[in-house]
Amino acid sequence: MKKYLAVFKINLLNCLTYPAELMMRSATILLFMWIFFQLWHITFAASGSDIINGLSLHDTMWYLLLAETLELGRPRLARVISEQVKDGSIAYLLNKPYNFLIYQLSSGLGESLPRMGMLFVLGGALVWAMAGPPPDMVNWPVALVALAGAWLLHFCVNSLIGLSAFAVEEVAPFEWIYQKFVFILGGMLIPLDFYPAWLQTIAKSLPFAYMMYGPARLFVLPDPALFAQILVGQLLWLALLGGLLTLVFTRGMKRLAINGG
Amino acid sequence: MPAIQVTNLTKTFRAKHKAAGLSASLSSLFRPEYQTIEAVRGLSFEMESGELLGFIGPNGAGKSTTIKILTGILFPSGGEVKVLGYIPWKQRQKLAYHIGTVFGQRPQLWYHLPAIDTLILFGKIYEMEDRETRHRIAELAEAFEITDLLETPVRKLSLGQRMRCEVAASLLHKPRLLLLDEPSIGLDVVAKQHIRDALREMAKQENVGVLLTSHDAGDLEALCKRVIIINHGQIVYEDKVSTLKRSFLTSKLVEVRFAGQIPADFHIEGTETLKVAKERYGAKLHFNTRLTPVEQVIAALSAAGTLVDITVSDPPLEEVIAAIYEKGVSPSP
Repeated sequence: MKKYLAVFKINLLNCLTYPAELMMRSATILLFMWIFFQLWHITFAASGSDIINGLSLHDTMWYLLLAETLELGRPRLARVISEQVKDGSIAYLLNKPYNFLIYQLSSGLGESLPRMGMLFVLGGALVWAMAGPPPDMVNWPVALVALAGAWLLHFCVNSLIGLSAFAVEEVAPFEWIYQKFVFILGGMLIPLDFYPAWLQTIAKSLPFAYMMYGPARLFVLPDPALFAQILVGQLLWLALLGGLLTLVFTRGMKRLAINGG
Repeated sequence: MPAIQVTNLTKTFRAKHKAAGLSASLSSLFRPEYQTIEAVRGLSFEMESGELLGFIGPNGAGKSTTIKILTGILFPSGGEVKVLGYIPWKQRQKLAYHIGTVFGQRPQLWYHLPAIDTLILFGKIYEMEDRETRHRIAELAEAFEITDLLETPVRKLSLGQRMRCEVAASLLHKPRLLLLDEPSIGLDVVAKQHIRDALREMAKQENVGVLLTSHDAGDLEALCKRVIIINHGQIVYEDKVSTLKRSFLTSKLVEVRFAGQIPADFHIEGTETLKVAKERYGAKLHFNTRLTPVEQVIAALSAAGTLVDITVSDPPLEEVIAAIYEKGVSPSP
């Protein structure tokens, strides 16, 4: 385990080498949150009600903050891995005594944590100013557990897309499609609670809801039944996607052709 | 037990093949055509532990592919390989503890961080004790003269300094075998010399086997005792570097400059005149030392006029190797 902790640490260090860059990049969340606030402020005013399908404007904004933090802060592993496959640098990563996938996981986590932290702090400050204080502290541990599960699901899907570079030349279209599914069916742009019941049912039977909606919704309105449902869903999808990832990696290694000789 | 045993190794790749133009692009969407490339064709060789073996060949000869099979990154299409007793592609992680690699064109040091951070990371990855890692870093820093560079971010190092750190990093875990793929690419003469000296010293001290691929004949001359030359995925020459030099380095080049005009019928007995630069009073000759002794040529040149400058040199090993590629010298038994 020590080696993976060291990989995590060096990525953390690398990410913190340029704090100004980290801060500037994270500042984009301010723009997104401001736009979201304007949109939802008008929507709630137009509906004539303080609560829509159980969520207030305050809940919606903090929901969106957590969703955006995860979306902007998750490592872009699909791009990273596919680049490693394409430029041949994967050769260096494969000839070291560690598990390649756990290496990528530790590396992604080290890169992601400071980004997510910075995004949450900056975005949170603005949301606090516009919509009020953050949700009750008791919600936080529950949301954090679901956030970890969501992050791992993103890791699995992203790595799968990245490793598909073993077979196809360009993975960007897959990444684009996946991101749009997360936006719409994961509840990143609009909380799933605002969807018609039939669409909610579809969304909740797909992995995307567990990658975004789960932690964000638990952060603002946690309840034990929902927590259990999200956790079970995440574990099932993790088992499925994790298994698939291991299979794709093992198969991919057999057909690996390192580019550039 | 040999460090490396390769028997009848083959590796083929399938690459998409497409003619130029839009219509060809469209038709390849529906009916993609593939081309089979034979990167390695029935390669067999052995390398003793602690041996310094040069593995050279032109671009696309199959050198890097072979190295990648030896490290377990690539699966071969056929044949048998054992590296330090392991089958690389089946026991990649176990083998990784005992081999070090440097791919000259691909850095392994973290670009934005000081090299010491990567070295400490590698110490953890190779499961070394912290004290052992620190001790080893000090040892390597001295050997490669990088003590003052370790705490500078890698991006601020020159290419030569970076490569010294790269090679040092590959030796951190005391590998029994070092696979170097173009370690001196892009380096100036001084930087190359630095790396060669340190490598030779470390290899001798620690009995590390070194398999080196390079385009630079100087690397080969400075580091290796034996050489394998491959072309089109096959061995075209295999022998001692000294034999290669003896058999193929019998010709000498002479560049000479006289104080005055060179006669129109300038010729030195037993040599071939390659070039005469009349306006610069200079000439370039070529001769075989087996047929014409060096002293005889110099004496004849002195007799031909007042000499201002003279240089006698070996033809670059690249030329010798190029001649071997072209003539396709059959592998020695």
